[in-house]
Amino acid sequence: MSAWILAAEASEEFHAPGPADFEFPPIFGEDGFLTKPMLIIIVGTALIALLFYLATRRADVVPGKLQFAGEGVYGFVRNQIAADAIGREGIKYVPYLATLFVFIAVLNIAGIVPFVQFPATSLIAIPLFLALISWVIFNYVGIKRQGLGGYFTNMLFPPGVPKAIYPLLSPIEFMSTVVFRPITLTLRLTFNMFAGHLVLLLCILGGEFLLFEVQGVIGFAAGGVSLLFGIVMTFFEGFIQLLQAYVFTLLSAVYIGGALTHEH
Amino acid sequence: MSPDPPPEPSPDQSAELARRDQNNAWNAFGLVASGVTVWGGVGWLVSEWLDNRIYLMFGILVGAAAALYLVWVRYGRA
Repeated sequence: MSAWILAAEASEEFHAPGPADFEFPPIFGEDGFLTKPMLIIIVGTALIALLFYLATRRADVVPGKLQFAGEGVYGFVRNQIAADAIGREGIKYVPYLATLFVFIAVLNIAGIVPFVQFPATSLIAIPLFLALISWVIFNYVGIKRQGLGGYFTNMLFPPGVPKAIYPLLSPIEFMSTVVFRPITLTLRLTFNMFAGHLVLLLCILGGEFLLFEVQGVIGFAAGGVSLLFGIVMTFFEGFIQLLQAYVFTLLSAVYIGGALTHEH
Repeated sequence: MSPDPPPEPSPDQSAELARRDQNNAWNAFGLVASGVTVWGGVGWLVSEWLDNRIYLMFGILVGAAAALYLVWVRYGRA
């Protein structure tokens, strides 16, 4: 242990990763406005568009590999998310939900793609904007289906409750549906990606520091373990990234489904 | 309150019921979190105003109880 401390003192100090690692300078010059996360979004969007264009360009009864993959993703959203959470009417919302799922998944996965290695969705603006789109859609769908008065009446006043309790219950319903839904959608995705990226940074940068700066027996042993753990966590992070894309999309679908059929 | 057991749901209906259950689980969680936050928040404001933290605890408990009741009203009694 003392050898490790001595060695650590002898070399450059290790800077633990933190929120500063999520701020990027402009890529071109000091006044440029294009940053790495923006580039990830642009390239990611172009990539999605290109892949889906190629997948559907010559759609065949016997699908090729790319068409098979594209239809697989779309079918997954349709069957596992839209049909599951919305039901028969869900088919109408599959285009939006599939776009949402693929967009979030690609921006998440950017966090573990070699040399890119930054999940753009860990910056709160992106999940917030997507959550607001979902918020507008499910409220619009609900108001269109039940009417403005009907939508809020069904939301605020569940039937079969003594009238005296409504002052206690209605604020809960209102906040839960109108205020907390977009907030929780946003924060769940943002901080899952934020925390995951921090863990990877810590494992990999820490491992690198131990191997190349601290050195010695302990440096090599601990650095090796840290790097190995970083690799394991990278795969785990890939799973989390797909899972969070699924959860965001599923919840958007659940909210749309709830707005279409108010429960009694 | 009828003595007859309910008829077996058809496959279509049971898929619909499973779908409802899944959605209800998400929504129920949202309601309980919302209840604790809303009335806990009110309790916190009253605590700040009267300088006594008991109102915060009271608010959280009332919010949790109201939200659980709401979950039962919405999803508990089919």
